[in-house]
Amino acid sequence: MITNEFIAKIEGHGNLKIDWKKNKVVLEVAEGERLFEGLLVGRKAEDAYWVTPRICGVCPIAHNLASLAALEKAAQIKLERPIQLLRDLMQCAQMIQSHSLHLFFLSLPDYLGIDRGTELRKKNPKAFQYALELKELADNMASISAGRNVHPTTPTIGGFNKLPTKTELKKLLQQLEKTKEAAEWLPKFCQSLDYPELSVDLELVAIRNQKIYSSKNDVVDVDDYKSAIEEEIREFSTAKFSKFLGREVMVGALARLYFENKKYPLDFKNPFHNNLAQAIEVSLYHQKAMEIIKELLEVDLKNFDKKPEIKWMKEAKGIGAVEAPRGGLYHEIHVDENGIITYINIITPTVQNLTSIEKTAQALIEKYAHKPQKEKERLLNMLVRAYDPCITCSVH
Amino acid sequence: MMKSKTLMTKKQNKKIIVGIFDFTDCEGCQVKLISLRDKFLKLEENLEIIAWRLGQEKFESGPYDIAIVEGTPIMPDEVELLKAIRGNSKILIALGSCAALGGIPAILSQKEREYWYQKIYGPNYKPRGIEAQPLSFYVPVDIVINGCPVDENEVLNVLENILAGKKPYPYDYPVCYDCKKANNDCRILKGLPCLGPITKNGCGAICISGGSPCYGCFGLRDGANVEALIKILEKIADKKTIALYLSMFHKKDIHYDNQ
Repeated sequence: MITNEFIAKIEGHGNLKIDWKKNKVVLEVAEGERLFEGLLVGRKAEDAYWVTPRICGVCPIAHNLASLAALEKAAQIKLERPIQLLRDLMQCAQMIQSHSLHLFFLSLPDYLGIDRGTELRKKNPKAFQYALELKELADNMASISAGRNVHPTTPTIGGFNKLPTKTELKKLLQQLEKTKEAAEWLPKFCQSLDYPELSVDLELVAIRNQKIYSSKNDVVDVDDYKSAIEEEIREFSTAKFSKFLGREVMVGALARLYFENKKYPLDFKNPFHNNLAQAIEVSLYHQKAMEIIKELLEVDLKNFDKKPEIKWMKEAKGIGAVEAPRGGLYHEIHVDENGIITYINIITPTVQNLTSIEKTAQALIEKYAHKPQKEKERLLNMLVRAYDPCITCSVH
Repeated sequence: MMKSKTLMTKKQNKKIIVGIFDFTDCEGCQVKLISLRDKFLKLEENLEIIAWRLGQEKFESGPYDIAIVEGTPIMPDEVELLKAIRGNSKILIALGSCAALGGIPAILSQKEREYWYQKIYGPNYKPRGIEAQPLSFYVPVDIVINGCPVDENEVLNVLENILAGKKPYPYDYPVCYDCKKANNDCRILKGLPCLGPITKNGCGAICISGGSPCYGCFGLRDGANVEALIKILEKIADKKTIALYLSMFHKKDIHYDNQ
């Protein structure tokens, strides 16, 4: 008998095991271990940013950026402004790509009474048209800035093997102008949805300017990520479960916007609002991409075609910390004097979110105790999807 | 592999029943499928997708006219599921390098896996995973769509052919053909290792165009002269480097002694 034992419409294989008698929730992760932190050891440094995107086909650019940042720190290379801008454009593409895939294909169907995302075409043709426009835009932005829409080909340590042309950037700017309406519509649309009520004492954590900030006022330098984010091994899980300074925290769009200190229509105690936060971020990164391209069009990129010579020192080490669509992503890479990787440690956003998912799932079944079991199960699946977990990433 | 030229005849007004499955992998090939956007919608009009964990809650246990399988079985349950899917499908398509070749996870042998389990998870962890293998190690596969990730146009080509009742023609030129069309300088002539000459085309030489190496993710082409390429590579690179190139996607089909 062919059955599906896992939560549908999330990346990777995981399930909530609920003991209804005790009202206790445990998150089970059953994704196969691929052991990326092992298979990269003994390979050349350049393989890191080529291989780590293959951890996750939904956020490959984020892994590419984290590995590059780690190696650039290890090689003590500072990026020139236009190169940094192109890296930021890659991040914009990644955010819009991943958030729109998650919203339209995985999570919004819960709110719109449909199952597969493509059913939106009949249910709400306008919304569907906007979804296609945003997906196409993000795919193009990724291809122009990183060489391909899934798994980058052009970025390299200190620069790019191939830089986008002015014509490509101009076309992209035109496409951004055309899709402005879609990007501005999305947060308004998501604001109009009915999110399940839930109020949890959520602790939100995000990376800003190479520091890790918590909504409970702790600040940790990214160099201390490993002692701050403690990982626990569980018997029935191929993913590790982490806590931040010993506490369950939520990372991702909702956390990032918390630290923006702007007046967003968000309830920072309700994890379901992560969906709305992602929609707001789509419009913010859309705007940011326009600003980046306008600045890039002012410079002659041909002057930045040269990549720096790399001399690996003995025991070179670097930590690359970036905000991936689902939250803070950390790659620590050590390289020997021949440029061979001797150690790599990866902490993904979903590993940080797993303990928070369990905590808020617990809160949810307590709040909705009076509801029928089926309804509780439906809400629990919606809650898991609202976190946009990437189980694939969490196991790596 | 299939014997007859026609796969199945599409009965009028009857949709083709499809199941899409993923084992251990990055799910990037399914993302590529979704990236077909309006072209995917056109295809979808002729399909009835009755199982797709990533895309929908609805999940029916078959039978399927077409089962599209992405990823490589690493959890033992996945092997059983693969066998059940095979037994319940007319056509089984391996989608992407993990399904076709074992992919990146196949870099590690079972023995190396045991070592890294200890290092990464510690001594108390009870590992269940097994060495990554191509789907064809366990069951017969009808159609292979190569690539890490796959090229969306090839996915479209294969599915459109099946819908038309034709057997899809696999690409079988080397990547060099695509590379010339893309107007790239030859990596080997520049003294850089490249697996393009022994690798099936269809990728458009996208990695080489972007300045990345070619690790052969589209798989060996029929009649590829691996030995001759190795002789050429040994003139421009040391054995360790060549071994690293060959181990990225070819751990299972090329044995190279780097001593």
